[in-house]
Amino acid sequence: MRRMFAAAFVACLWLPAAAPVWAHHSFAAEYDSKQLITLKGVITKVEWTNPHIYFYIDVKDANGEVTNWALEGYPPNTLKRTGLTRDNLKIGDEVTVTGYKAKDGTNTAAGREVTFSDGTKKFAGPIGQ
Amino acid sequence: MKRWLLNPILSGAAMTLLGAALSPTASAQDYQPGTAAANKLPPNPKPMPRTADGKPDLSGTWQAGGVSINGEPGAPPLHPLPPAPVRPPARQPIPYQDWADAKRKTFTVLDDPTSKCFLPGVPRIVGMPMPMEIVQTPGEVVILYESFRAWRRIPLNAKLQHPDDLTPTWMGDSVGRWEGDTLVVDVTGFNDKTWLGGMGTIHTEKLHVVERYKPINYDSILYEAAVEDPGALTKPWVTGSVLRRPIDVRVEEYECIENNPDNEHIQRAMELEKQKAKK
Repeated sequence: MRRMFAAAFVACLWLPAAAPVWAHHSFAAEYDSKQLITLKGVITKVEWTNPHIYFYIDVKDANGEVTNWALEGYPPNTLKRTGLTRDNLKIGDEVTVTGYKAKDGTNTAAGREVTFSDGTKKFAGPIGQ
Repeated sequence: MKRWLLNPILSGAAMTLLGAALSPTASAQDYQPGTAAANKLPPNPKPMPRTADGKPDLSGTWQAGGVSINGEPGAPPLHPLPPAPVRPPARQPIPYQDWADAKRKTFTVLDDPTSKCFLPGVPRIVGMPMPMEIVQTPGEVVILYESFRAWRRIPLNAKLQHPDDLTPTWMGDSVGRWEGDTLVVDVTGFNDKTWLGGMGTIHTEKLHVVERYKPINYDSILYEAAVEDPGALTKPWVTGSVLRRPIDVRVEEYECIENNPDNEHIQRAMELEKQKAKK
């Protein structure tokens, strides 16, 4: 019992403090956390910019039609600290990305997890909320 | 909330610290960044260092939260910290006066000043998921925030005397003093354009914040902010967090307006919602 209490106490301590997931705007107003999509494509552009990074991938559908998707991620400094660096996203590389679809109907998503061609997985942005 | 919370001495005495009655389940040798073993470490036994004049030395990099120090849900961060032996103040609703409560409900996320990269004000900036650096001298404490490239000068004087020529600003005017081992900072001279934290959390130029930075151990500061605003609140409101000393992190540049199309997306999403609702 005492051990259980201690475990629960530790869990409480590990809860994030009252800090927003994204520092400067609302996730829920922009992205649909219920629409987690998976996109496989080739990186065409990387904007390693504040307040959030964007990277773009060309996704080919079954008919060979290509659509360019914009994926938003954490701020550059946060990504550096969580393990995704600018060098990881190389133009021309094929990646598989999960993300939450934008509510405005454009081909934009909040990138969540990137799987690189060697199987490495890295988080690009927050879990939907 | 009583006025004593705004009295720096009394509110400090009233702060409750929870002892960490944890039996160590992992030794320091088990510590491997990125492993769950680090989560089981006991709190850091090392105390906060002291300066030559005997004050706690808060110099260094600190952060209240965010994935870079807390990790993704269910996964440890790249550089996990031992747990802090203290909890932040419990969350409380902001006690708004009726007019302010009615007004704040008219806002949307597009009205959030930080969504346009404006300075977040105090205490909101402290909770941002990015690091800050405290630079401490005997006569002045300076805090450099990564988020929104903000900075605060906090001259120390025993009477907490502000200059008499203040014009309202986003971050207000800060003065501080040491009360025992706690750094107490009095902030006033705010404009009415920032939010306290959360949707539509408005305030007036009468906003007055008393912050307390209480050292707990080498990597933990208990941060408490007592917020009063006789223009918008019915009584003082207390918020806070535990500031942690993140591992291998330094404050870097954050130029928020560089590439900020989010509000355009949000605006279009809202218009689509409205159209759907009409149908």
